[in-house]
Amino acid sequence: MERSTWFSRFTRSKMIVLLVLYVILAAIFTVVSKGQYLSWYNIRNIMNSMVVTAYLTCGAAFLMIAGNVDLSTAQVALLSGAMLGTFLQMHLPWPIAILGVFVIAAAVGTLNAVLINEIKFQPFVATMAVSYIVQGLMLVRLEGFSIDVDSPPIVWFGTYRIKGVLPVSIIFTFIIFAIYGVILVKSKFGKMLYLVGGNPTAAKLAGLNPKKISYILFINNAVLGSFAGMLQAARLKAATANGIANGMFAGMTGAILGGVSFGGGSGGMGGAFVGLVLLNGFNAGLSTVGLSPYWQTVASGALLLIALTFDYFNNKRLASAK
Amino acid sequence: MAQYIEFSGIGKAYPGVQALKDISFRASEGRVVALLGENGAGKSTLLKILSGDTQPDEGKIIINGEENRIASPYDAITKGISVIYQERQLAPSMSVIENVFAGDLPTKRFGVLDKKKMLQTTQEIIDKFGLPIDPEDPVGRLSVAYQQMVEIMKAYRRDSKIIAFDEPTAPLTDTEIAILFRLINQLREEGKIIIYVSHRLAEIFQITDEIVVLKDGRMVKTMVTAESNESDLIRAMVGRDIGDTYSNLSRNENIGEVLLEVNNLNNDMVHDVSFKLHKGEIVGFAGLIGAGRSEVVRAIFGADPILSGEIKIDGEICKFSSEKDAIDRGIALCPEDRKDQGLVMWRDITDNISMPVLDKLMSGLFISRKKSEDLAERAVEKYSIKTPSLDKIVSELSGGNQQKVILGRWTSDLMDTRILILDEPTKGIDVGTKAEVYQMCCDFAKQGIGVIFISSELTEVINVADNIIVMHNGHITGEVRRAEATEENVLALAMLD
Repeated sequence: MERSTWFSRFTRSKMIVLLVLYVILAAIFTVVSKGQYLSWYNIRNIMNSMVVTAYLTCGAAFLMIAGNVDLSTAQVALLSGAMLGTFLQMHLPWPIAILGVFVIAAAVGTLNAVLINEIKFQPFVATMAVSYIVQGLMLVRLEGFSIDVDSPPIVWFGTYRIKGVLPVSIIFTFIIFAIYGVILVKSKFGKMLYLVGGNPTAAKLAGLNPKKISYILFINNAVLGSFAGMLQAARLKAATANGIANGMFAGMTGAILGGVSFGGGSGGMGGAFVGLVLLNGFNAGLSTVGLSPYWQTVASGALLLIALTFDYFNNKRLASAK
Repeated sequence: MAQYIEFSGIGKAYPGVQALKDISFRASEGRVVALLGENGAGKSTLLKILSGDTQPDEGKIIINGEENRIASPYDAITKGISVIYQERQLAPSMSVIENVFAGDLPTKRFGVLDKKKMLQTTQEIIDKFGLPIDPEDPVGRLSVAYQQMVEIMKAYRRDSKIIAFDEPTAPLTDTEIAILFRLINQLREEGKIIIYVSHRLAEIFQITDEIVVLKDGRMVKTMVTAESNESDLIRAMVGRDIGDTYSNLSRNENIGEVLLEVNNLNNDMVHDVSFKLHKGEIVGFAGLIGAGRSEVVRAIFGADPILSGEIKIDGEICKFSSEKDAIDRGIALCPEDRKDQGLVMWRDITDNISMPVLDKLMSGLFISRKKSEDLAERAVEKYSIKTPSLDKIVSELSGGNQQKVILGRWTSDLMDTRILILDEPTKGIDVGTKAEVYQMCCDFAKQGIGVIFISSELTEVINVADNIIVMHNGHITGEVRRAEATEENVLALAMLD
């Protein structure tokens, strides 16, 4: 009996298509920018632009694989920045301030999970409503200003560069992404996400607990969101009312680009990571060749469509190869 | 001259599979032609060609002497062809009238709907067929059987000459089947050309005039129904003589002590249900659809709440707050609907088999791929599941093999299944595999497992089970031993009020 191999799993994943797409795009950008695209400065810029969104992507990918969705994460991130600033202003020690923010985020995640699992709201509707409430609370807190975040350890984490070159926050982000990837592929929890996302009824009848998984994921997602928001504040040394691109879909865009589908049960962290790199690398490329930032948004949308089209044809190719 | 449709040398290939080859037969007006064959024989592909869903690679379709190309489903409708699929194509929230007229709503001036005409025509059709349907009712509120009638009315309203049915009786109860057959007979008398796809041999004899037998995409035989018999058909379908399936079963002779005892079980759907299941016994649940059989086993399995009553395993009272608790006590449920409740369709065989035993496949912090694949491989070998590889997505397997994957999941050596509940395990699978499933039930019984076997096919349930419990409206209306069971006495209990 034939078994799955590393190679068969790799070719079936959507990563390969995106990698090819990115290599082609990177080559074009490199030529057009006369090599500038591959400079360390530019590469670091790409990585820097990914750092905050990466946490949102981890959380969103996990939720989507399990067949759920959360539109409130970006607002949880911004509220978290604001609350971090607030707690620091109150002269709470920084670990306590961070812990407090995590508690708030976990409460929002629990609220989402309760609305969806107990009152049976559609995830889209419930989390959209929660998103507005959280955004509102954040705006009330900031009242149009920004709050300084100046606790040295926090600022260190957001801005320190090893040997003046490599930001610690980037390394940390890569580690987090890798841990989530390993959990998804190797652990029992990861396997359960796919099964629950693929068919919650069947999973329940096989003794899994979709509700418990849903709670864990919503809380995990909100906590990751709050981490992103605090990191953002740490890097800017201030909490502001905006600054997370793509709003409600911030974390999802990279994941969708990387092959995680809204239907649940498919996709993976490798794809999501490549999707994130592609998204940010593409935008950075457009900057290096001098396209106006306004047009970059148009181009990002087009990229998403192109990637999905590629994916569609790749699926057809795989299906007909069987 | 009589009207007809003729398939001539039809062939269709998909990558890697020759789905159809050299199919030639003719269906004439006022005749019901059966398309018979095991799963994968090519019946669905032929229907897809007829409905314009796909085009043949070779061959011709001739309607009344004229060669035709059916380019699209819309094209099929304009050519007077209606295909009624198992998955109904109705808008559930719209009324019967609107569904009957879907596709070409009659309008008055300025595009205003001609509601009077719609109502009138719909009522005429309803009266013609003598159906107790209110034309204003939303279709979603009708039973599955009447929804199917609405599909037929839709075809009739379009004045389709050729009407094809794809396993129309699969979701119907025996009384509903009688109504359906009356309708088909009416259509036949009006000179429609009817193509009837089914697995069920008994009804082929009841309703059809001619039979076309397909096997592996080829035409094995065409015959006149009146001149053939059941064993001829089975031999033609499976290519071998399976003889009397039931008398060949090797049954378990040693039924042990009481394993499961249910006393006065009650919830919204189940009323005062009590029964016993012994070690090594197969208890059948017969009854019409909606009689509460699935609800009883769901309650036992902890999937639905229980209002009152007790469940004892080995004499010990058990309370399950979730499916997991029931599984831990050795109960396994293979649900009624494989696709919706049983399998994770887009995951592979390994994942689907390992679902309930993930805990036992760990090696350290992680799931061991080797242990998982070993487990899956043992199941694939044990039940001879036809697949090229363990990472085949289960949606690509045939119905019978999907059922075997579910059985493999619940009876693996990592499970300690003592009570196996099979809810409609043979639904939509072919004759050959059905016989295999019956034998598997007997084999489970021989291992001392108590088997609960739910089926809407009377013949099957009274021949496989040792003891048959009959339900109606959430109540148990009777219990019959296999030796005394006949279709008549079980059906009488199933319809008892």
